[in-house]
Amino acid sequence: MTTAVQPAGGGGDVIDRPSGSSLADVVDTILDKGLVIDAYVRVSLVGIEVLTVDARIVVASVDTYLRFAEAVNRVDLAQTGGKGLPEVLEDTKGGGHGMAKGVAKGAATGAIEAAGDTVRRLFDHDDNRPQRSSQHVDRGEG
Amino acid sequence: MSTGCYIYGIVNADVEVLPQARGVGDPPVPVEVVSRGDVGALVSDVDVDETLGRPEDLLAHEKLLDAVVVDTPVLPLRFGALMTDRDAVVQKLLEPHQDEFADALSELAGRVQYAARARYFEQPLLAEILAENATAADLAGQLRGRGADESLDLRQQLGEIVSREVEARRQVDTEALIQALSPVTVASAVRPPTHEEDSAHVAFLIDTARETEFQDAVDDIGRRWEGRARIRLLGPMAPYDFVVTAS
Repeated sequence: MTTAVQPAGGGGDVIDRPSGSSLADVVDTILDKGLVIDAYVRVSLVGIEVLTVDARIVVASVDTYLRFAEAVNRVDLAQTGGKGLPEVLEDTKGGGHGMAKGVAKGAATGAIEAAGDTVRRLFDHDDNRPQRSSQHVDRGEG
Repeated sequence: MSTGCYIYGIVNADVEVLPQARGVGDPPVPVEVVSRGDVGALVSDVDVDETLGRPEDLLAHEKLLDAVVVDTPVLPLRFGALMTDRDAVVQKLLEPHQDEFADALSELAGRVQYAARARYFEQPLLAEILAENATAADLAGQLRGRGADESLDLRQQLGEIVSREVEARRQVDTEALIQALSPVTVASAVRPPTHEEDSAHVAFLIDTARETEFQDAVDDIGRRWEGRARIRLLGPMAPYDFVVTAS
């Protein structure tokens, strides 16, 4: 029997086991979970500016729908072996992140990018995350 | 510079922090324990004129707590908890809540959290939906070959159906993950999806004595879902999803 769970990069493993949390993971975890101190302490709290990350929840939206519709179109191409096949394969390689470019064409992109920028600044130090703008913030890790 | 006392989490009073441990702030300063009775708080000084929340701050907060929980139970505080000084932490936070904190710590002794997130592979997911949903397949057929600027309504309809189908699958798969792991977990907490193609996002509290069993079980599900979805497992981490502030 092989070792069941290996760190990412071990090769041949069926799940990903990153050795540590990425910034995206940390945002998931510590910004809206854990004990909230002001419920315990109503005095002696110090006001400080804490950068917050908004729009982190996936909200089904027109943007999402159009993205899905476009993705479905690519499935058709793949199934019929049509002209676009090499492109489809290229998109599929990344494990489903091939839609990134499609999103940028969306009608409502302007405002969304503006909101996304704030968040992306936080992530600039994160390694190689896919660049995409969307209604939600993709904290994908590739 | 005016100084405040940043609080990371609540631990047993006898916990000692290694001198090289660093917390939030620029530059990061050492982390210490202040205590009262049986409970203590992991704290460090912070300049309150600074803005907290740089990537380094967020990472430092979690890294410290995740390192601590491997050795000793900890009640993690949400990022950004700050009090005027250490005396305030002792008198206003620890003292009035010692019993409550001590109880929670003893309940969490020998336990850690893991977070599992699974994401569908897009192409097989969409192919499955088209195969099972006639309306979606029909719409996809109508749309084939049309330009992106045409037929906005149809595309929106198709996308909405797909979105609902994904949501339905997510519910089923999330439940399946929780059920499959329930024999080796103490508790589970569903997290909101972070991506529209997430198939599950769940935090698990487990006994460290069963850590290997748990990891094996996750691996089994990973094999079962191979080619359909991929699981990403994070942990051990502090029990962020399992400490609840009393209202």
